Amino acid sequence: MYSIEVAGASSVLTFTYLGYESKDVVVNNQTVINVTLSPDSKVLSEVVVIGYGTQRKSDLTGSVSSVKENDLLERPSPSLNQALAGRMAGVQVNNNSGRPGGRTTVRVRGFSSINSSNNPLYVVDGVMLPQNTQSQFSNAIDYINPNDIVSVEVLKDASSTAIYGARGANGVILITTRKGKAGDGTVTYNVDMSVNTTGPNKPEVLNSAEYIAVEDLAWRNMEKYDPNGWKAGRWAYLNPKLRRIDPRVWNADGSPKFDTDWFKESTQAKLSQNHQLGFNGGNERTQYSFGMGYRDDQGLVKTTYLKRYSGRFTIDDQIKPWLKVGGTLSYNNQSESLSDVNNAVSRQIVEDFPFLPVTYEDGTYANNRDFPFAEGTFSSVHRLMGRQFILNTQTTLGSFYANIKLAEGLEFRSVSGVNIQTQENNASQTRTLAIANRGEASASNRKETFWSLENYLTYNKSINKIHNINALLGVSWQQTDIFGISANVRTFATDYFGFNNLGSAAIINGAGSDAAQFSFNSYFGRINYSLKNKYLVTVTGRSDGSSKFGENEKFAFFPSGALAWRVSEEDFLKGNSVISNLKVRTSYGLTGNSEIPAYSSLSLLSSNYATVIGETRVSGTGISRLANPNLQWEKTAQTDLGVELGLFNNRLNIELDYYYRLTTDMLLDAPVPSTSGYTTIRRNVGSMENQGLEFSLNATIADREKFKWTSFFNISANRNKVLSLATPSDIFNVGGPNFTNPTNIIRIGEPVGSFWGLTRLGIWSEAERAQAAKFTSYRNGLTILPGDIKYKDVNGDFAITDADRSIIGNGSPDFWGTLSNTFRFGNIDLTLDLQYSYGNDVMMMNFHPSEDRQALANSYSSVLNAWTPTNQNTMIAEVRDTRAGYVTNVDSHWIKDGSFLRGRNLLLGYSFPAETLSKLRLSKLRVYASAQNFFLIVTDKIIGDPEVTPTNQGGGNSAFSQGMIWHNYPKPTVLLIGAQVAF
Amino acid sequence: MKIKNISSAAKRFWLLLFVVGQMGCTEFLTEVAPSNLTPESFYTIPDHAEAAIASVYADLRFMGNGAGIFSTNWQLLEAMTGTSTTETAQNSDLNNLYGLVHDGNTIHIRNYYIGLYRVIAQANQVIDKVPAITPMDAAQKKRILGEAQFLRASAYFTAVQLWGDVPLITKPQTASSEDFSPSRASVESVYKLIVDDLVSAEAAGLPWMDASGRVNSAAIKAQLAKVYLTMAGFPLKKGASHYKLAADKAFEVITYANSNPNVINLFTNYYDVHRENTKNKLEHLFMLQYNASVAQNPMGNFFPNFKPVTFSGPGGTGSSVPTSAFYNSYETGDLRAKNQDGYFYTSYFTNGSGAPFELGAPYVFKHFNQTANGSAGMPGTRNNNLNVPQIRYAEVLLTYAEAQNEVGGPTQAAYDAVKRIRDRAQLTTPALASLSANSFRELVWKERWYELCYEQITWFDMVRLRKAFNENTKGFDEFVGHTNLSSNQKLQQKHLLLPLPIPEMQNNPNLKPQNPGY
Repeated sequence: MYSIEVAGASSVLTFTYLGYESKDVVVNNQTVINVTLSPDSKVLSEVVVIGYGTQRKSDLTGSVSSVKENDLLERPSPSLNQALAGRMAGVQVNNNSGRPGGRTTVRVRGFSSINSSNNPLYVVDGVMLPQNTQSQFSNAIDYINPNDIVSVEVLKDASSTAIYGARGANGVILITTRKGKAGDGTVTYNVDMSVNTTGPNKPEVLNSAEYIAVEDLAWRNMEKYDPNGWKAGRWAYLNPKLRRIDPRVWNADGSPKFDTDWFKESTQAKLSQNHQLGFNGGNERTQYSFGMGYRDDQGLVKTTYLKRYSGRFTIDDQIKPWLKVGGTLSYNNQSESLSDVNNAVSRQIVEDFPFLPVTYEDGTYANNRDFPFAEGTFSSVHRLMGRQFILNTQTTLGSFYANIKLAEGLEFRSVSGVNIQTQENNASQTRTLAIANRGEASASNRKETFWSLENYLTYNKSINKIHNINALLGVSWQQTDIFGISANVRTFATDYFGFNNLGSAAIINGAGSDAAQFSFNSYFGRINYSLKNKYLVTVTGRSDGSSKFGENEKFAFFPSGALAWRVSEEDFLKGNSVISNLKVRTSYGLTGNSEIPAYSSLSLLSSNYATVIGETRVSGTGISRLANPNLQWEKTAQTDLGVELGLFNNRLNIELDYYYRLTTDMLLDAPVPSTSGYTTIRRNVGSMENQGLEFSLNATIADREKFKWTSFFNISANRNKVLSLATPSDIFNVGGPNFTNPTNIIRIGEPVGSFWGLTRLGIWSEAERAQAAKFTSYRNGLTILPGDIKYKDVNGDFAITDADRSIIGNGSPDFWGTLSNTFRFGNIDLTLDLQYSYGNDVMMMNFHPSEDRQALANSYSSVLNAWTPTNQNTMIAEVRDTRAGYVTNVDSHWIKDGSFLRGRNLLLGYSFPAETLSKLRLSKLRVYASAQNFFLIVTDKIIGDPEVTPTNQGGGNSAFSQGMIWHNYPKPTVLLIGAQVAF
Repeated sequence: MKIKNISSAAKRFWLLLFVVGQMGCTEFLTEVAPSNLTPESFYTIPDHAEAAIASVYADLRFMGNGAGIFSTNWQLLEAMTGTSTTETAQNSDLNNLYGLVHDGNTIHIRNYYIGLYRVIAQANQVIDKVPAITPMDAAQKKRILGEAQFLRASAYFTAVQLWGDVPLITKPQTASSEDFSPSRASVESVYKLIVDDLVSAEAAGLPWMDASGRVNSAAIKAQLAKVYLTMAGFPLKKGASHYKLAADKAFEVITYANSNPNVINLFTNYYDVHRENTKNKLEHLFMLQYNASVAQNPMGNFFPNFKPVTFSGPGGTGSSVPTSAFYNSYETGDLRAKNQDGYFYTSYFTNGSGAPFELGAPYVFKHFNQTANGSAGMPGTRNNNLNVPQIRYAEVLLTYAEAQNEVGGPTQAAYDAVKRIRDRAQLTTPALASLSANSFRELVWKERWYELCYEQITWFDMVRLRKAFNENTKGFDEFVGHTNLSSNQKLQQKHLLLPLPIPEMQNNPNLKPQNPGY
């Protein structure tokens, strides 16, 4: 209802509403004018969510990618990030593990930081999620049920992200969840059932016969590689004949009784299921929705799973003509068994001896350690059955808003949000696995409580349909409290308790707790101005204050500006039969990164020192952190140039963006002279650039009644370079699992986190015997021989040292993207979704234990191609028992071209026709079947999946471990059937 | 559309005020760390002084921290001596130490530099902050300061022997400290601080011995004697004056031991050198303290490569194992080379306590904890609480013998000192009369190699003497030109000092020049 006084009968009322075509009505003598607006038909008028508001896509001046519910439904996934992968140019989503729920990293336009987070900021219905990485490398977005999401927008350029100021530098992902709708109530039920099966490129290992042959040869070759030791009888005890005597394993003639396929024994094909039930309804005044979900994912590796129970309720009410209130409350309970984490199960699957049974006749597990003088490990199955590693996460996410209409075009909106996340990480190992401790268990709990209150005014004004102004002014307060508690104990009399009765352990190793609080206070504003609907200007600014920064630098200001020109609205293009839309736009702005631990600017002591005095633990307090009262924000300045082109009545849409991002004042753990007692200070120093191109193409190739073909293609390229650091000193200890010499380097002038190592030229040949012998031994002090690895001796000093290391690869691709085609034949739809990546290197860390050394554990089948006097042209050293001296280093042989093409999803669906539906009294019934990760083409010889990060993520700084293969959870092929029902 | 009436506007106003008004908090962005103290809020009561000195002791354990795969920091001081080698070549930094091609990027070298200065910084904190604590018992204050001075002096002593000129930091540091990016101070000035600290610690009123593992007077005097002995040799070459100081200081300990044989003495058997219940007692004047409640013994890399000598089965790395040349150079009948009776073992019990088996080679028994790992028929406790010896009375005897000989040839007391070491090894010692100053000198040196091997002492002897033991001739070679039999590489002039860590030089432009040859 409205009333308005007009000048006369000839006045014209213009009714506009976002997403609908505007309508002009001449008043004449009418006293009641009701209008129904029809939805804007043009794709361009699609409404997208932006920071603190919405906008028509045609009015955007920035670079925003959008994904709608229907696209998300095409690829049923347990986490939003998995569903988003490949959908947007410039947004690199890597699904780096095959375990249920995966483990994803999301990078919007490359890396912006070294020591701070590179995670984008997620905002769910106006409430910001924690940006930091949480327990076990999880992220708050992993605990949002993807079935509740109706649209996702990724803000990429500074004009779009600057409104999020200090948290916008890594891009912002806005998530809109399902709300009630006025009209007939609807009930929806989505269900799918799936099975994880062995995926492409599974590791090939030696079988019993092959292993035995390799071991025999390895022992005989000890004579060559350690002649003195051999002569002295030092290696007699390793004679395989003396080792193959256990009657449980070996026949009397020394032949093996078993040939176990450990991959098969450690994996399962179990049924997973997913049920999502939704209720939705309301009238003009009040709308509500209610949803419940249950998901049970059983992983490919035995004992791993993800279970989720979720519930959600929303309400919106126009309580007064000038006041609308509403809110969302959701609860998510997720339990994950991550039995593979830090447990070397995947490694053990490769290394378990094929000649061992899974269990002996008495039911006890057989382990590699039972074989004399082998590496003392436990079998993969034993580890899986004897160890629990559970992550339980409960998330309560709520938001409440009130919209007050203050005057024509002027609205006040207040949004308060809360996100409470509790993560329990419980682990235990049996007495037979934790031998030294006779069983061990730990439990930890971490609670992160976030609240926010944001108030803002928006003002819309149109003057003579020539000038359109949209303005925003707001203020925000946010606070996060973190409290963690943990205990770990050992030595149990029984395995019965697991982690459920820590008090029954004989030894309490430790108990700890820690707390932190940080807060933000911010002021923000934006003006959008458009002239004649052709010339668009956006100016935004946010002043952010964070408690984490130094006393002198609490606040910083982040401005941005953007211009766009809708060329197709100009007279010379209007009505053009080919070009239906052409927009060019550019933006520039500053955004920030504040994701450092709280208290980083303070001088702190640590009270966690402990020493032994009189056989008693005595705790101590000593130095811990250098103060930096000038610590401030890390800033990223970004320039964006974009073109949007629509052809043939927008049947073909092209979007092209170039960006340049310069991060300065990096929040770096800058090295200091360690004579101070400290090794680093948190300091704003150093800079890094990213530049890239993004191209996406949406085409409706055929659009007939019985046949529709749509095609989606995108390609992105990003180039990263470190421009300056605190000192010329290279930074190591980033990236990989860090059990070898450094694997990654951060060096000025190079891409951040490049792979670092020696260059393996091949294997020394018989002809080079004299040359090899000149080298200072890099093999247990023994002479380097033909059959040993030959490295490039860069400085020619006949020694293999750090001076011979160089950058040997990089895990970031040259370009990557997606090609997706959807065909609709009547009621049948078929989607083929391909993912590709080109120029990304992978580092085969696995070669270290499983190819470079033999006779301590099983190896990859590749060792069958090892050097022999008759097979000298190979990259694999001659087989020998390691104790006679062998060589393993991070080197170029471990680096492979990881370019790949993956069949990400093949989906076939059938929607029942209207006649059938009406008989069934349903409004929708669709059944579908899908295969995910159904093929993989790699260009180089890679064992496993090239899209990967190490299981333990390399500890603290894992951002640069992309492409490091270190015995990862195998990626399954998922076979799935499902149905969508609505009535 | 227009606002209908005033009351509606008023309602909107009140609602607005409710929302905005509750956020008036002024100190919203101030932060106080709930899980950490700040220097301003600490060092006020005597308990804080105790907590502060505890952190210095805690950081001494850096030598047992990891240095990449299959390696620990202390291997820096073993790998270069030529008396040990490795059964695995997985760690390229360790390989380079064995091959004497280490450089300023070698991780062990960097870790030692960082670790030592960390100890120094913690000690500086104690020495700077504790004096101001009032009220505090004067004796307690003196004791704690004495402990800190000993620990600081010991860290500098290691640093100056490894790198020569090193930065001299004696005050707590902040990013604005004048000497935050220090230059190298002369060896002379570093030794001055070391001696000053030890002399001051000597007067701190500490007990002769302390079974709890704290710094004690015997340790301080023994360390001071060793410092003087080192100053007498290379590179300072103070000669006779400091041999005398060393001999006198060592003799103070010997005098006390002779009159208190139940307090300070040699153990009667070698097993007691590595036993849990002899920690900090009799022969062990100072040790790094280990207990499973805090940290377990860090010498595991002496275990053989995947041979089941402990309760946990085949777990060792074998990255520090004796060279057979060094092992074979022991005199026939030397008890120290006897399997499981001395400092080596060549057979052991399966999984620590099962059927005996031959190892095929000698391994270091000196750090082997039979209580934890298991012994004949006796399963291990699985908690390796063994300490790491730093100063043994045996070394004091040898220090005295060596220094006294330099002052004026072998005396009866000097002879007695070295004879006690040989007697325990069941070796006969040539009569005093048959020994010249020269032959006595080499006799003592040899005992240092045989008695103190694998205790991170031998390398420092090589540097201060510029000699290396030749396992084949059983004599002493000049350091430069000696071939380490572990790798068949020759020691060079440059090896007398380690290179400064390259990252340290990059992070501190005043840290220059690099040591010659690197």
